[in-house]
Formats: sequence, C-alpha cells, structure tokens
Amino acid sequence: MKFSYNWIQELVSGLDIAPVELMKRITIKTAECEGVEAVGAHFAAAVPARVLTVEPIGGSHNVKAVVDAGPLGERTVVCGAPNCRPGLTTVYIPSGTELEGRRIERRVVSGVESDGMLASAAELGINKDHEGIVVLDGPLPKPDHVIEVDNKSLTHRPDLWGHHGMAREVAAITGLALRDPVDLGRILKGEPVFGVDIEDLRLCPRYSALVVEGVKVGPSPLWLQQRLTAIGLNPINNIVDITNFVMAELAQPMHAFDAAKLTGQTIFVRNAKPGERMAALNGESYDLTPAALVIADAGGPIALAGVIGGMESSIGAATTRIVFESANFHAASVRRTSTRLKLRTDASIRFEKSQDPENTVRGMARAVELLAMVAPGARVVGGLSDRRAGFTPPPPIELPLEWLVRKLGREIAGADVRRILEALQFGVEEARPGVFSVAVPSWRATKDVSIKDDLVEEIGRMEGYATIDPKPPLVPAAPATENPQLHFFRALRRLCAAQGYNEVYNYSFLSEADVERFGLKAEAHVKVANPISVEQGLLRRTLIPGIWKNVEQNSKHFEAFRLFEIGFEIHGKQAQLPEETPHLCAAIYSRAGDAQQFYEAKRLAECLMPGCELRPAEARSYEHPSRAAELLWRGETMGRVFEFHPRHIETGRAVVLDVDLHAMERLTPADRRYRPIRKYPESAFDLSILAARQALVGDIEKQLRQLAGERLESIVFQRQYEGEPLPEGVKSVSYRLTVAAPDHTLSNEEVTAVRDRLIQGMQQLGYELRV
Amino acid sequence: MMEGQLQQLAASTLARIGEAATPEQLESVRVEVLGRKGTLAQISKDMGKIAAEERARVGKLLNAAKNELEGALDRRQSEFEQAALQARLDKEWIDVTLPAPGVRPGSLHPLTQIQQELEDLFISMGVAVLYGPEVETEYNNFDALNIPPDHPARDMQDTFWLSDGHCLRTHTSPVQVRGMARFGPPLLMIAPGRVFRNEEVDPSHEHTFYQLEGMMVDRNVSIANMLYFMKTLLRHIFKRDVTVRLRPGYFPFVEPGFELDIQCLICGGPGCPVCKQSGWVELLPCGLVHPNVLRMGGIDPDEWSGFAFGLGLTRLVMMRYAIDDIRHLQGGDLRFLRQF
Ligand SMILES: [Zn+2]
Repeated sequence: MKFSYNWIQELVSGLDIAPVELMKRITIKTAECEGVEAVGAHFAAAVPARVLTVEPIGGSHNVKAVVDAGPLGERTVVCGAPNCRPGLTTVYIPSGTELEGRRIERRVVSGVESDGMLASAAELGINKDHEGIVVLDGPLPKPDHVIEVDNKSLTHRPDLWGHHGMAREVAAITGLALRDPVDLGRILKGEPVFGVDIEDLRLCPRYSALVVEGVKVGPSPLWLQQRLTAIGLNPINNIVDITNFVMAELAQPMHAFDAAKLTGQTIFVRNAKPGERMAALNGESYDLTPAALVIADAGGPIALAGVIGGMESSIGAATTRIVFESANFHAASVRRTSTRLKLRTDASIRFEKSQDPENTVRGMARAVELLAMVAPGARVVGGLSDRRAGFTPPPPIELPLEWLVRKLGREIAGADVRRILEALQFGVEEARPGVFSVAVPSWRATKDVSIKDDLVEEIGRMEGYATIDPKPPLVPAAPATENPQLHFFRALRRLCAAQGYNEVYNYSFLSEADVERFGLKAEAHVKVANPISVEQGLLRRTLIPGIWKNVEQNSKHFEAFRLFEIGFEIHGKQAQLPEETPHLCAAIYSRAGDAQQFYEAKRLAECLMPGCELRPAEARSYEHPSRAAELLWRGETMGRVFEFHPRHIETGRAVVLDVDLHAMERLTPADRRYRPIRKYPESAFDLSILAARQALVGDIEKQLRQLAGERLESIVFQRQYEGEPLPEGVKSVSYRLTVAAPDHTLSNEEVTAVRDRLIQGMQQLGYELRV
Repeated sequence: MMEGQLQQLAASTLARIGEAATPEQLESVRVEVLGRKGTLAQISKDMGKIAAEERARVGKLLNAAKNELEGALDRRQSEFEQAALQARLDKEWIDVTLPAPGVRPGSLHPLTQIQQELEDLFISMGVAVLYGPEVETEYNNFDALNIPPDHPARDMQDTFWLSDGHCLRTHTSPVQVRGMARFGPPLLMIAPGRVFRNEEVDPSHEHTFYQLEGMMVDRNVSIANMLYFMKTLLRHIFKRDVTVRLRPGYFPFVEPGFELDIQCLICGGPGCPVCKQSGWVELLPCGLVHPNVLRMGGIDPDEWSGFAFGLGLTRLVMMRYAIDDIRHLQGGDLRFLRQF
C-alpha cells in the first residue's frame, strides 16, 4: 500500500517531519515501511504558464511558442504538441529541471533557441496522456513523497488501507491533531430513488446507494489525477476517480453504476444463480456459482460484490445519471470469490480485511463533496438508500492496569494508557480503580481489536518497545525433556562423517519420471495438489532417487566420493497424516569401481549396526542383479545394500546403503551383559574349506560355528581363493578358529577332538577340506 | 719387570681400542687381551712366579689395568652401538608430509551444524527440543494457530496442499500445538525443522527451508522476558552482544506480535547495502502467544501466558558463511558441501 505524504499532511494538522523520518516512525510504531520515493519533484520548479503567441517554424512540425510564465516572465520554447495554441494555460518547466530522469536544458531546436519546455501530462507523471501539452485546470500539483508500506503488515488493519487511517496513526505518533475529511452533512435527508434489497445481511452487512444526475463525464482535474497516479492508481474519469479517491482515503471501496443502463429501480444483493454470467470491467467474463455474492438489477448481475463491477453498467462518456454504491461485504465471502476467480482487486483486498460497516455513509458523504469539486453540475437526487444489518457495538474491553504491567514487563502510568488509547480514538473510562473500560472504535472492532491482549500492542507500540528492559524469566530449574531421536540422529551423522561421507540435503519432492525410473508408481505417492512444477509433484517415499541424482551430478566432478542423507520417507495413509519414516541413505561412488565399494558400504552398515549381516536379495529394477542384499540386524530387516544397475550409472560404480531408521532405533540400544575374561590359554588352528564358487561365506561360517560348539572362542575369516590348482568353479575359504574352556587349559586331545568334529561335520555337509 | 709389562700392555691396548674401526676389531682386542686365554689371563697366571710380598701390589695393579681396559672396551662398544642405532634411525627417515592413506573424513551439512549448535544452546537453557512432521494437518498448521479458513493471513504463507487434504507445513509453529498437547504448561520448547512455501526458486528464495520455532509458556511471561530470552539467544548465535529492537509485526498466533531487528552487524547502524541502508536487519518474528492459541492448546490463558519466536536457520547459515545462493543448500554438490 502506497501512502502520499502530502495526503497524510492534509489530514494531520501541522505535520512537518521529513518523509524519511516519518517512514521510520511508522515502521517502529505501526507497520513495516519498505521505502519512500519522491514523486513529482519537478513541480517544485514548474510554474503555471499561459501561451501568448504561437508561430510555425519553417520545415518543422514544431512551433515557436512564447509563454507568460508568471513570476519567471516571458519565455520562448519550441513545442511539438498539436494542442499548443494561444490562450492555453499549461505548465512551464524551466531549464535546469530534472524531468523523467533527464535534465531540461536551454538549447536550439529547429533553429530556434528553446528555454525550458511545455510538458505533457505523462511527462509530468500525472497520467498516461502523451497527446499534447497538459491543460492546467486548477492548482498546480505539488511535489510529493510516497511511502510504501508492506501489505503483509496491514493484514489485520482494515483501517490502514486508506490515508485517513494512516493519518490517525501519524497523529497518535506525533501528538498532532487528526482532521476528519468527512462532512456527514453532505448527505441530505430524502426519499431514496433506488431501493436496496439485501438477501443475506451476514454476507452484506450494509449497502448504501445514492443517485446523482447531471453528471458530465470527463477527465479529473490534474491535482486529483496526480494524487491517484502517485499511489499507483490509474486515473480513468472524474466519476471513477472519485470512487478511487474515497477508497484510497477512507479505505471504503465504492462503485458507480450508469443508472441509465440499469433495469428497474432496485439494487439486489444476492447470491448468483446457477448459470449466471457477468462481463466484468477488466474485459473478462465470469461464470458464476451460487457461492458468489453479486449486485444485481432486475435484469441480472451488475457487479461481483466487493470484487469488480460489470462492464455493461459501467461509466462511459455518455453517462449522465449514476448510482453510487458504498457497501460493506463479508470478508471471507469476498475472499472466497476473489480466490476462486483468481481476481484480486483493490476492493477485494480491502474487503477481505473486514471493513467497518460504519464507513459506508462516510464514504458516500466524501464522494458527494468531491463531486462538487470535480463534476460541476452534478446533483444528488433523493435521499440515501441505506440498508444494514442490526448492529450492536462490541462491549468495552476491561483492561486492568496491573495485568497490563505484567504483560509489558514494565510499569506504566494510567494516564499514559489513557493518553495513548485516546490518541488512537479508543473510548477510555475508568471502570473501577485500576481497571479501564475501553471502547473500541468501529474501524478497529471488525476483527483487529477484541480482547485486552490486543490493547497491549496498542500501548506497547505507541509507548515504544525500546522502553522495555529485558528481564530474565522465572522458570523452574529442571532439565529439559530428552529427545532420544536427537541423540540417535546425531550419532548416525557423526559416524557417517567420520567414515568419509559428506552430508547432503535433498528435497522432499520427486517427479513422476523420478519415481518411475526407480520402479515406483506415481499413484502410490502423496501428491502435491498445487505443485510449482511437475518436477515437484510427488512426495518422496524413498530417498534413493535423490541420492542417485547426487551421485550422477557429482560423478562429473569427482573420481570417488561418499555421501549420505538422513531424511523422511512420506507414506500416505487413509484418513490420517502420512507416516514419515526416517531413512539413512548413503552412497559410495568410484569411477574406477570394483567390488570393493560394496564392502565399504557394508562396513558402514557394520559400524552403524555391529553384528548386522547381508543376505542376497532379489534385485530391484535399479539394482545390480548380482549385487543386491537385504540388511538384517538381530533377525530383523533394516534395509538394503546394493550396487546401482549399470544402466543407472553412466561410468563407474555406486553402492547404496539404505536403512530404515525407525526399525533401527527400535533395536537400539540392545541389552548387553558382561562376559568374564577367559583365564586359561586358548588354542588356535586353521581350516580351509573347498566350496562351490557361489556358496555363501556367511553360511559356511555359520555352519562352522554350529559344529564348533561352546568351546569356540572366535572364528576369523582369513581369505578365499579361486584358481590353480583348484578346479574351475571351486573356491577355498580359510578360517582361523580359536577354542578355549572357561575352567581349564584345553589338552591337545581336546583341541583335536573339536577340529575333527569340524572336519567330519563339514564333510558330511558336502564340503571338502584342505588339510 | 711385570709392572712395566702391565703398563705397556695397558697403554698399547687402550690405543688399539681407540683405533678399532668395527665392533669385530674391538671384539678381537677384547678376546686377545681380556679373554680367558688372553694376555691379562696369562699375566695373572704368571703371578705365581713372583715374590709373595710383591704379589699383592702387582695383583692390585693387574686389577686396575683390567678395570680400565674393560671400561674402555664397554665405552667403545656402546659408541659402536650408538652409531649403529643412529644409522638405523637415519635410514628410517620418512616424509611426514606424505598424505595419510585411507578415506578422508566427510562432513555435516551446514544446516545440520547450525541446528545442532542451537539445539545445544537451548538444551543448556533447559529447553526441550521437539521434532514434528513435514506433512501437517490444516488444523495444526493454521486453525490451531488462530488462522481460520478464509483468513487473509493465509496469504502470508503460500502453501503446498496435498492430494490427501493435508499440507506441507509452512512453518515450524504447528510443533507448538503438538508441544502444548503433549506436555501442557509450563512449557519451554524449540522445534527445528524443514518447512515449505509454494514459491519459485531463485538465489534468495526457496520452496524448502529450515526454521527453528521456540515457545515458552509459564505464569506471568512478559515482553521483557521475551526480550531477555531473545538477547541471550542472539548473543550466543553471533558470539557478541547485539543491539535489538522490537517493532510491530502481524502474526495471528501472537498478540502483540513483533518483528525483532538486530542492528546491522556489517555497518553497525549507519546503513549499508546489506541492511538496505536502514541500519537494521530483520531477523526473527516473535510475540506473546495469542490467548486463542493457548486455549486451543488446552491451556488456560487466564493462568498461563507465553512467548513464541521463529528463527530462520537457512537465513542464519547464509549469513554466517556469506552464501549468496540459497539453492546450494539443497543442491547436493560436493564442491559446496565439502567446504563445511
Ligand atoms: Zn548495514
């Protein structure tokens, strides 16, 4: 929202602080300002001028004009405007003035020395008219400053969507008096010409209408046009400009209908009927549903309530009789309609903030006053049509001073509380000693201020938060509740980093192509209903596609690397929140890859879950068919280790460890019990087993363990070997076994007995042994 | 006679010990002179031949000569050993500047690091750390935070809606709701985590970023208490005292609501491009918890009050490391990540 400094100055008597300083104070006390910008600075040097003589210049479409530039005397300018003629009152810009970013210089044009220039309205920043030099129809516009306030910080303040509301803040901030631009006396009593019929007073709490005749539609005077342009509104014509002016000043959106184009003498405020359609002022046509509130005449919708007017009944050059609308609409209803039609207008933005129903007649009175200024000859016919819902002002808020002090955390005198609230036009009574009864003004009562906490803000901000000294809170000295997941995740991250893995963060989004590449169906995912792009249409139910992308991209820059992510898989559930399963996904890549990466990944799994094991698993589409395993820990499935299928990796190899951290956390920590340290010496011997190439070493080891029995102290894999002199398809696997007893030193015979049992047992299982 | 022989032998042997160039030469001198059949042993044998009254004196001399020679031999021996050890040690020279073998340590994401740092700070202040889900109910994300449907404040946070009717949380504030329900008052909690806004991505905007929500509910919590807490927090984050200011800010779940600005750490106040010439940098929204939020969290606002704040972790990381493109954080590029 843009605010004109001049406008505020007109409403705050004696305001003389510089615009930049005012902006700072508004930021500290009221709402965040985004900047201040000078507009129309050239009007400081410009003067009204009357064209005295105009002479053609041979060979040029320009003319030589002599103007009476008032205090500057007579000046000669070369002018190319077709409307430059003697007697015209226009605006003269002297040499040396900056205009539209360039400096006007004295120079020779078409052989004539031109001193200064006559400017068009567009060049002066008044409107978009480039057609000729401006015709000055009143006072010369003044230089102004525009303060831009962040709209978000006005979300709760319907009153600050107009200059008068901001002027009220400025008056309270500066201690100056606020001037009310509204003279309710402008609305005369009388029988209304148009009737108003409101179907649902909840959706339209108030509708005021007034008929005006004798209107001559034309451009507004320059001062009005400049004012609208300065704050970003387009001047249209005097009637539309009046409605915009009132909106910008009082935050009351208004509308004007061409009465001649209306059917009947009644304005209906009702829900749209199925199949109704309306051509709007923006040139679009809208199909309406009964959810939309419309303004209608006997023939159908003439406006979308609180959003936009209809094209058919709009003000045109031929309009002479108008109906002014100044109404109040239900915030959520306007918001719903504007959201559904994707149509946000200056009116809808204001109404959705819950405007003050008391404001409709004030707006109308201001419009009538402006009419006299900018549409001479226009006259109000009949009295005001004013339909409204029954209204009871909210009860005053009880504000105990002692409570206020506790909230602020500093002392404040009752007199200061009263002064601040009264400056903001709250009604303040002392209900009982130490307790104020605060009446909320209507423009703050719609949504903004309803409880005493809201008053803390009014007093705090106006007194200044800088006056509050920090104080330590009194809190119980107790340790914080532990978050086991915090420690769990931290330990995992530390470990992965220590093992050489760099942590990545990937998005929670995937595309359909992403999931299909990994053999998943898009339908199985929770979908984003309004994604930014198709790339982000699904919520990930695996971290693998993200990790795969990381591998692909980084393999362009690095020969070898390791990376990991801890993130959440999102699995949709019927009628409840999705299940979010934390996963650790780690990848190890090598451009010159061999089988080693796989065992490195396995090592990480063993660091994370000591004693875990891998079992060959049926490969998924993206997994290497001979290098895919299920990860088991304490008998439960924890995840997988696999190498990416060569189809998925252009060069090199990448192995992935994917662990379900919910499953893992459930098993951590395990019960541990101390085992006494052996007192008697151990004995060791080696065994080499011949087995088929694809026999699993893990199985062989298990079988050895079983056969060795309770005397087995440890079994350590030594090596495996394939090749000469072993036959094709056979490997030799060597183990060192250590045996011992808790109560004596094993004799040679005892050791041999274990060894023989192992050899015989393995032979019975079909293995050969190299002894 | 024997006296002279001894003296001569001692002198010549000492000379030979000194001249021995190898341990082997030294050993042969030892065997020749001090060995069981060596010269001294021979002299000792010949002692019998001399007069008894001489024998004691010569015996003393003999012992003295033997001790002197043994001492000299040992010293020379240890010189050889010392030299041999030195030679071995010299040979064992290694280039300590060679790179260590094996895998380089990895790294934690800068967001992880800052999150852990802040978690630790808060834990030390007795604050519980809570985590919440990425997908939230509309109720927890909005309604329970005093943002009913059709409230214009919903525009302040462009929301990703999901096919199942839920949404991706637009802030970590819904964890307040979960915290209140789980623990009740008094409550002192933070909730760091990933949040989502439906925004186009560019160097300074992300649809996915990280926040840290904080909430304190107790009896008689005031704006002054909140200021104290915030200043303590910021002193630890920035490792120095920072000047702060509160100004009005609108967030439906707090009343009053504030924007907390810190005095620009770059220029210290006069204004620079970082603070857009204002001297202040907007850092964190905060406020006293709105009574409606307490009520919806099952807490009686007449008995309890509180404050809440939201800290942008992504923003802090970018400030700390002067990162000029937010997209690096979730870009997965090791050229970026290995710097942390
Ligand atoms: Zn600065």
